Amino acid sequence: MKILVCIKQVPDMESKFKVDAAGTWYDTSDLAWRMNEYDEYAVEQAVRLKEQLGQGDITVLSIGSDKVKETMKKALAMGCDRGLHVSDDQAAGKEPLQIASVIAAFAQDKGFDVIFTGMQSQDRGSGQVGVLTAEILGMPSVTTIVDFSCDGGVVSAKRELEGGVKARVKVNTPALFTCQLGLNKPRYPTLPNIMKAKKKELLSVPVAELLRADARQQTTKLYFPEKKGGGIVLEGDVGELADRLVQILQEKTTVLSR
Amino acid sequence: MAEALLKGGEYLITETKCEDVFTPEDFSDEQRQFGETTQQFIAGEILPRVEEIDAQNFDIVVDGMRQCGELGLLMMDAPEEYGGLDLDKASSMLVAERIAVSGSFSVAYAAHTGIGTLPLIYYGTHEQKEKYLEKLITGEWCAAYCLTEPGAGSDALGGQASAVLSEDGSHYILNGTKQFITNGGFARLFTVFAKIDKVHFTAFLVERDFEGLTIGPEEKKLGIKGSSTTPVALENCKVPVDNLLGEIGKGHKIAFNVLNVGRFKLGAAVTGAAKAALETGIKYANERTQFKRKLSSFGAIQEKIADLNADIFASESLVYRLAGLLDDKLATIDKGVEDYYVQYQKGIEEYAPECAISKVFCSEVLARTVDEVVQIYGGYGYVSEYPAERFYRDERINRIFEGTNEINRLLIPGMILRKAMKGELPLQAEAMKAFEALMTPSFDDLDESVVFAAEKALLANLKTLFLILAGTGVQKFMDKIADEQEIMMAAADIAIQIFALESTVLRAEKALTGFNERKQALVRAAVKVFAFSASEIIATAARKGAFYVEEGDTLTMILSGVRRFTKYDASGLLAAKKLLAEAACEDEKYLFS
Ligand SMILES: Cc1cc2nc3c(=O)[nH]c(=O)nc-3n(C[C@H](O)[C@H](O)[C@H](O)COP(=O)(O)OP(=O)(O)OC[C@H]3O[C@@H](n4cnc5c(N)ncnc54)[C@H](O)[C@@H]3O)c2cc1C
Repeated sequence: MKILVCIKQVPDMESKFKVDAAGTWYDTSDLAWRMNEYDEYAVEQAVRLKEQLGQGDITVLSIGSDKVKETMKKALAMGCDRGLHVSDDQAAGKEPLQIASVIAAFAQDKGFDVIFTGMQSQDRGSGQVGVLTAEILGMPSVTTIVDFSCDGGVVSAKRELEGGVKARVKVNTPALFTCQLGLNKPRYPTLPNIMKAKKKELLSVPVAELLRADARQQTTKLYFPEKKGGGIVLEGDVGELADRLVQILQEKTTVLSR
Repeated sequence: MAEALLKGGEYLITETKCEDVFTPEDFSDEQRQFGETTQQFIAGEILPRVEEIDAQNFDIVVDGMRQCGELGLLMMDAPEEYGGLDLDKASSMLVAERIAVSGSFSVAYAAHTGIGTLPLIYYGTHEQKEKYLEKLITGEWCAAYCLTEPGAGSDALGGQASAVLSEDGSHYILNGTKQFITNGGFARLFTVFAKIDKVHFTAFLVERDFEGLTIGPEEKKLGIKGSSTTPVALENCKVPVDNLLGEIGKGHKIAFNVLNVGRFKLGAAVTGAAKAALETGIKYANERTQFKRKLSSFGAIQEKIADLNADIFASESLVYRLAGLLDDKLATIDKGVEDYYVQYQKGIEEYAPECAISKVFCSEVLARTVDEVVQIYGGYGYVSEYPAERFYRDERINRIFEGTNEINRLLIPGMILRKAMKGELPLQAEAMKAFEALMTPSFDDLDESVVFAAEKALLANLKTLFLILAGTGVQKFMDKIADEQEIMMAAADIAIQIFALESTVLRAEKALTGFNERKQALVRAAVKVFAFSASEIIATAARKGAFYVEEGDTLTMILSGVRRFTKYDASGLLAAKKLLAEAACEDEKYLFS
């Protein structure tokens, strides 16, 4: 089975973000970088699938500057077999369709049976790249999966819907899956595997060779939301307080409605 | 990395170029990944259970060690032919640093991988390694090291434990009591030191199940409560002759060489703990409001945060510079040679002074850090509910084990002077030059085009000062200088601070070009803050030393030399501290990792 996992390098979400000089993205200098959380689930699922089948070949793909190779090496250390780095210093400025077009252009003639992506990236959060890629490739996509099993070319996946509802979906391969928190617990790459990953194939191609879509969107401004007003402190007799609280909850929220 | 050519202690008489030092900014992607795996493992599996561990639920520790084994964290120093990774020291130090936040668990890890496993790796025969090494590097067995006895602590070779060959020649019969044995409660393999026929100090590999070995009750401790510390009693303990480790009568080599490694790794570990402690302190300072202001807005608190950032930057610079020195030295040895580990030991021993420096300097930076972090927390630092209290208690042991800081301080100038006497370091010739410099006033202007010109000039002067004081001391006391402990302590402080400051400046210089503007300003600030502090500590130590050794005109001359050679223009010091503090409070962490 041929598997593709698409990952993105994102800043550590605990970082203090600043808007960059152009005012359209965050300032990327002086940040610590790591693998997008949802992509870790994707990598883990790919590796588990290969382990379950006892065979397979996993390619990990990432688009970005040379720096993203560090994150790709983590995926290789977790168990991916080879890496394809699409070299692009301007990846952050590309809209989801462009990113998807790059992935699809690479995947087109490779005969991948299963493609995993994260359900969204932690920094841009469009949630579109996976589904757009599947669309371009003409394969079905199943989003926000929290469970995955594969039996003879048929995948059964559990999706997480709004309000705690789950859906079980069956789909034939080839298919694309976007992975959600809860799907699995990603392994920590072991030291021996980190060393072995050094010897795995990690090729780079310039993005121009794969980019098939023009930009149609433009981010005009990136900004922090204005701080909302503070809270209300209620004082007085306990009985009265309870009544006023209930009143406020009824007026301003839906927590008491049925 | 050409600093491999630098000999142990030689930093005191030469200048090093920044290209020649290893710094944390030089980590490879793989090394960074080792660090990340460790960090995620500790954060995910160990930190959530710290309280249970501190309640001495050792099953968690043993289980955690097994997980470390699965991740490969126990095999970093083991040779590849026995399933190890045989990685560089920089990697193992980074891992030690990342494990350190776990306190007690970190002590179990350090004892196992360090003093527990290294004697076997360095001195074990092929059969011994075949038998035990895999068990240790997978975490199936934990290891312990039994050197200390009730009557022999710092005087480690003064122990009473004895070994006698059995009549049939098949076993050694060990008797004695070992004290304060880390991992005693659950270790399966003990490296035990005992004297054969009361004379020949020798090491033995003793299994927990060997007849005659009894584990005593857990000590009740001030800190690292979740690490196991027990006495180990040997009552006619039968150890097969095949389990004698190394050579008869050469146990002291094992004991001391393993301690060298323990010391530089301890330097790395305490640096990791300091970063974590500082981070909680900074976060708290940002959360807590008094007088309607955040604590982090008060100058008194900011100064602590700034000083600690600079101190930890120095620790980190020192530790990884030493890692680089060791790695470069060890890389010169051919792994295929028969006596690989003999040469390897020599390689590490070369830097024994720097290893001791790492232990003392970094453990004292951690001590200041946890103390100030408790202070930042105020009353909440004193109660167990907040993390400051655990950091504070767990810190204390680091200045006691792996050789107390006094013993290590004595070793630093002691070993350097011994190297000089053996002709390995031209200290005497350099001291003559230093005395000449003392007599001739100099008016050298700083070359401002040089990066960190003021700090480099200061360093050159501090080295001169060290030579003057060491020279004066040796002249007066000759080979009895080692008995003049007060003077040795002063000399140690000077040597320690010089190494720390030089490592700091070299790292800063090397890293500068790769940093953005903000970070460059911060590094410059850290260098200034630390250079000021180091020059003041050295001035005090040097003055003290001068008063101890000399009197009359010579004293006056040396004191004026102290003034001259410790002069450092720290203009902008307050602004530098403000800058560091504000940035650290903004990032809510130690600024340079
Ligand atoms: C929690 C814990 C874990 C430990 N783990 C281990 C272990 O796993 N294996 C092991 O073998 N040991 C272990 N030790 C022992 C530790 O290494 C010793 O406690 C340490 O070396 C000091 O020895 P001591 O306690 O006998 O103190 P002493 O040697 O009695 O020292 C007391 C004081 O006198 C000073 N002093 C002693 N001699 C001199 C001198 N010549 N000149 C100047 N000052 C001097 C010391 O610096 C110290 O301040 C552990 C100890 C503790 C507390």
